[in-house]
Amino acid sequence: MEFLGYITLGIFLGLMLLTLFGYIRTPVQTVLVLSTVLCLIIGGFFRYIAYGWDSVVLLPNEFLGGIILHPITALLTGLFLAGGLKASGGFEALKALLGYLRRSPIGLVGTLVILINLPVISSLPCGRILAAALLPLLFTFGFEGGLGILSKSQLIVLIGAFTRNSMGSCGPSPIGGVGQIAEGFLGSFFPTASDGILRAPQAFALMLGTAIVALFLKFVSQKIYPNDVSLREAPPGFETKRGSEVKIKPPIQGFIALAIFVISLLIAIFQPLGKMPVQSVLVAGALLMIVVCRIRLNDLLEGIILLPVTAMAAGFLAAGALAATGGFKALASILNSLVSIKALGVAGMLAIFVQFQTILPLSCARILTAALVPTLYLFGPAQFNFLSWSQLAIVMAAYIINATTSCGPSPLGGGGMMGEGTMRAETGFIKGAYTFASMAIMAPMAAIFMKFLNLSVFQPSDPEFVRNIYMIGAFALVIAGVNVVFIFLGSKLFNPKSSRNFFIQLIGFLLSGGFGGGILAFALFETEITKILQGILGGIIAAFLIGVMVPKVLSKRLTATLSGPTT
Amino acid sequence: MSDPERPRIGEKRSDSSQPLILPGIHRYQFFSNLKDRGWTLNLDRVALFGIVSALLATVIKPILRGNPATIYCYECRACYATQDRCPVGISLQAELVVAGRVLDYDRFIRNGGLKCIRCGNCQSYCVQYLPLPKMFEVMQHETRRAIVAGIVPKESLTRVLEQGLVGKEFIDDVVRAIA
Repeated sequence: MEFLGYITLGIFLGLMLLTLFGYIRTPVQTVLVLSTVLCLIIGGFFRYIAYGWDSVVLLPNEFLGGIILHPITALLTGLFLAGGLKASGGFEALKALLGYLRRSPIGLVGTLVILINLPVISSLPCGRILAAALLPLLFTFGFEGGLGILSKSQLIVLIGAFTRNSMGSCGPSPIGGVGQIAEGFLGSFFPTASDGILRAPQAFALMLGTAIVALFLKFVSQKIYPNDVSLREAPPGFETKRGSEVKIKPPIQGFIALAIFVISLLIAIFQPLGKMPVQSVLVAGALLMIVVCRIRLNDLLEGIILLPVTAMAAGFLAAGALAATGGFKALASILNSLVSIKALGVAGMLAIFVQFQTILPLSCARILTAALVPTLYLFGPAQFNFLSWSQLAIVMAAYIINATTSCGPSPLGGGGMMGEGTMRAETGFIKGAYTFASMAIMAPMAAIFMKFLNLSVFQPSDPEFVRNIYMIGAFALVIAGVNVVFIFLGSKLFNPKSSRNFFIQLIGFLLSGGFGGGILAFALFETEITKILQGILGGIIAAFLIGVMVPKVLSKRLTATLSGPTT
Repeated sequence: MSDPERPRIGEKRSDSSQPLILPGIHRYQFFSNLKDRGWTLNLDRVALFGIVSALLATVIKPILRGNPATIYCYECRACYATQDRCPVGISLQAELVVAGRVLDYDRFIRNGGLKCIRCGNCQSYCVQYLPLPKMFEVMQHETRRAIVAGIVPKESLTRVLEQGLVGKEFIDDVVRAIA
């Protein structure tokens, strides 16, 4: 039966790769359903041979277990609220408030930075809630949205960075975030782990990573894919009109709807009325909008769009079929077996392991995290003893932030597609930026943060607290500095030849991946040269797998899709 | 004959012909741009029907089986923090919740569901304070019914019995089913 897992994993990966590279020309949700059906048929056949008909009958129940309802309902809630805000004039009210903020000492840039980091500040258990509710607002900052405050290039950066921040904010959430999966396991040794041992490393890494995403989108993505964002630039002469400031007069219902939105968000985050599902609070807020702001139920329902929901659900189905047929067990076993390769060892294997969800980004991080965190846990004192408890906490921090952010670059109904849709970009536009930041900045930074600060906080006897803060500052500067240099150097070398640009980008990924792997190995094993070299090699292998999956061109794919098969 | 509705190569597509991704925002996406790919439309419809049916089944099933609270689970696994506070040593409580939602008997018994004594220690770790003991109890009854009806494969029951994952109140039923 172990063999079955390898077969179904092969089917899933094969179909996904063929779709991503444009060889299968059907919508991704159809391919995911096809993968599900194939896995179930083969799984059913194997089970019939091994255990008989009873086992086959139970297979549908098992694969349905792959559906995680929470992100689906979160997305629907966000869309519901977006519909309510739109109908009541809430977005207009928000624009007016942002206008006041722009004129305050923090200015436009400060306002946008707060807006971009709003998801991690609020840390809801699914980033899709805020993204669905606020992306339509961000769109209005451009010429087409009416405000015309930002140019096309700036709007791409704003939307891309906000979506990045959103699709990672579910990690540090204390009310059902992805990070709690690992915190639960770390509770075996750290008594207060469930208070949020992984929260600060994730939030810190996510903020830094968001900034790097903004730079990458500006200096790399826009140069590699110059014609793949269909947002319109303001026509000549619009600049002068903009100078006179667009006067926005939102209706009073807009302010009320906004107040209801903010209050329900605060209740959902701080739960002053007792523990309850975030979605319920937000839906109650939306219903209150109907009563107070005199909008129709239809206005709320109009906000709901099923396409992203069904794409995500299809991802869950495929993952469920894999889980039911042992595909994830096969995956964990493959990753585990990397230890026996001498050039990789434990450090190299871990450098690949922590990047795995960015290598294979699925529609929700929870799918693979739930399957792989128990495996990672077993690398510690609980079974294999590759790592001590402190080392395990460091790896968990790196792994979880990488995993949490993996729904961003997923083309299989991932949250990043909402950002791509908003900026009217081809699927894959943001993939390079998102995967680069997760791999090169977030994972190593979370590991360093955990090593030098969080373990001190959770082990209060550590006397070197202040020195450790300096260490984190120094490492943050070095890690961010090196990657910023790579981004700038790369941007200088790009030219209209897509193959050359892809090659330069891949080299950048390999260098940053190696650097990140080395940092991770250092965080774990300090100055053991062999381990650091193994970490670098593991990082390079992971970076290669991530880098080659970043699309070389986008627009040619579209043309090929439109023209159909060539003979 | 070419279809006048279908876009041609190089033709600029209008916003309104693109699928919606968010209110007022249209999607430019080669994967799901159904209008560009008429030959797969029926296949896509079948797939969509499958997805929606699966979603409905996931929601309706626990309601009909008297275990609706399982729908609310975030699957955040915060309950794993129970650790050794679980008197019978269950370490993956969320697995039991998911198993209860979809009636996955094998997953339930494999993760120690039949060992649970419903003490409620894990409930305090749930970020939503979901009634975990009640949910496990409902699923225990469902599983017992399935075991008695011979639906659960004997191999699974033998394995969990050998691993000591069956509580004393269920041992008789499990042994009878295996025999």
